[in-house]
Amino acid sequence: MKNRLLGVIDATTYHEELGELMIHRSLAALPFAGRYRLIDFVLSNMVNSDIESVAIFPKFQYRSLMDHLGSGKNWDLNRKRDGLFFFPSPNIEGEKHGIGPFSHFAANLDYFKKSRQEYALISNCYTVFNMDFRPVLDRHIQTGCDITEIRKHGRSLEMYLIKTSLLIELIRTRDMTGYSCMHDVVSSYHPSYRICTYEYEGYAEMIDTIHKYFTVNLDLLQPQIWKSLFLRDQPIYTKVKDEPPTRYLKEATVHHSMIANGCQIEGTVENCIISRGVKIGIGSVVKNCIIMQKSQIGENCRLDSVILDKDVKVESGTLLKGSIESPYVIQKGTIQGALMNS
Amino acid sequence: MTQNLAKPAVPFGGKYRIIDFTLSNCTNSGIDTVGVLTQYQPLVLNSYIGIGSAWDLDRRNGGVTVLPPYSESSEVKWYTGTASAIYQNLNYLKQYEPEYVLVLSGDHIYKMNYELMLEYHIEKGADATISVIEVPWEEANRFGIMNTSDDMRIIQFEEKPTVPKNNLASMGIYIFNWKLLKEYLEIDALNPDSSHDFGKDIIPMLLEEKKHLFAYPFKGYWKDVGTVKSLWEANMDLLDEKCELNLFDYEWRIYSVNPNHPPQYISTEARVKCSLINEGCTVEGEVEKSVLFQGVMIGKGSLIRETVIMPNAKIGQNVFIEKAIIPTDMSIPDGMVIRGSEEKDKIVLVSNEMLQKFVS
Repeated sequence: MKNRLLGVIDATTYHEELGELMIHRSLAALPFAGRYRLIDFVLSNMVNSDIESVAIFPKFQYRSLMDHLGSGKNWDLNRKRDGLFFFPSPNIEGEKHGIGPFSHFAANLDYFKKSRQEYALISNCYTVFNMDFRPVLDRHIQTGCDITEIRKHGRSLEMYLIKTSLLIELIRTRDMTGYSCMHDVVSSYHPSYRICTYEYEGYAEMIDTIHKYFTVNLDLLQPQIWKSLFLRDQPIYTKVKDEPPTRYLKEATVHHSMIANGCQIEGTVENCIISRGVKIGIGSVVKNCIIMQKSQIGENCRLDSVILDKDVKVESGTLLKGSIESPYVIQKGTIQGALMNS
Repeated sequence: MTQNLAKPAVPFGGKYRIIDFTLSNCTNSGIDTVGVLTQYQPLVLNSYIGIGSAWDLDRRNGGVTVLPPYSESSEVKWYTGTASAIYQNLNYLKQYEPEYVLVLSGDHIYKMNYELMLEYHIEKGADATISVIEVPWEEANRFGIMNTSDDMRIIQFEEKPTVPKNNLASMGIYIFNWKLLKEYLEIDALNPDSSHDFGKDIIPMLLEEKKHLFAYPFKGYWKDVGTVKSLWEANMDLLDEKCELNLFDYEWRIYSVNPNHPPQYISTEARVKCSLINEGCTVEGEVEKSVLFQGVMIGKGSLIRETVIMPNAKIGQNVFIEKAIIPTDMSIPDGMVIRGSEEKDKIVLVSNEMLQKFVS
């Protein structure tokens, strides 16, 4: 039963709604939950479902994504046989399309032709979930469908299971059929194929707007949600960093928060997701915030409903305030001074 | 602790094992060929070191090699002393034919640039250089003491002297010229009365032969953790805001095998102060001046003070623990009270017998 599935991750998606967060990176590489990137969820799920060959199709700004994935070692995908494959798009420009772009696949058709795996799972890169794909494959084989679409509450999760040979045929005949991606095939009014659906019962959220990014991150603070996402025997893997444990100093007050390693906390933190290597100075109060890697918050700052991207420096005495509906997003690498508010 | 675990493999600092410090020092000092001699309870240590990728020591040439005792024909040759351990692996050293050999202990906690020590060794034109640290005079009788001349040349070595003439203690870090080391290890191996130890046999022999031995003075944090109390103290040292052992120094990172855990979760009821907490912990109680390793859980209403909790231990609800070490994977039942005290020199290493007594 092992190694019958190919993993295919469409990392080309670009959501304009994510604004400033998308300036330096592809959506797949967006930091999430303190130490992960969005792609870690689907990639780890694939690895945990015995998938041994994963192809990633990136397009925009994929430097951060490549840096994150490296040789695939952290996912145990640095293999001699199979492993992790990276197929950047030959076209920088190009029309927007749904998940599973056939023209992009066509440029790398050899990968599909050479693969021994009978089935392929095509997925988006921006769903936060912890799912075992093996039951989907079992169902797909049992029902004899051509394509199985994974759904939650009747809504597509933009994940499709298909025979590799049929996928190759769809890629080859794309100009004749007019189907440009997997989404076209399953949503066709006169489907030429038998489409089935698989209803997923577990937790799954797709990150496509800043509001969604913010609320789904903070939802992780509910124990029943993080317990369904971080399972001991189905871990979510990510690039490891050699950060020391987080240090809480004398004045630290922390409630209801998720905190990654390498932080030094002297202030008050409430209802926050704090990434690796963040510093929060004495007298500062940080509430309802997402703080990304290596950002530094000085002394006596007040931050409420703010998303701080990586490497932001907030000078002492700064006030920053957004709202739950519309969090204040601070761009990567900027300096926020106290004077700007006066 | 070392009964079931080689000392270098003992967990330390919320994330590390003691040998991480020596191995990271090697990597940070630009040393890419490291042999690790193991003997007692080597399973955990061997699998922990693996091929050395955690310390970037998985190299095509050199890298890390674990060197356990082996049998020559029918007789297994256990390492009887530090020198015999190296003597029996002369073949390992010969294949590299190095100019200098650095001999280290894997069970000390410190950060040191061995490259600077080597420069000192070359500059002094030494045959061997021994790193020393100043210790308080009243404790000098617990160490191997180097008596030196003004230019740091070693004139005499005294192991645990009753009346110390100096307070420079050997840190068990040696640089030797390889040819000289080889020669003297071979002489020592033939001596049936030798205990085959660097401090007791090789160094005195070199001094007798009037070789140029120099002391390299080291300043900074250095700790040899041989007892439950010193292990506890070393962990508490990290919580001191003025601690010289800075784990947050990105220029001199301490590398470690990184377990994969989600970020730590601090609940609404929790209170955390003056502590080091690693990934994968869930804190629902109160934690003060403590070190929590990965995967530790602290239940509601519990109070943990001045305690070290090793990986994946679970603390139930309404537990009180003060001045203790909780070993790996242990579960502390609800309502248990564990209290050590510093005055009586007592840090509690919680054992399964104590848990059984509490339950019954």
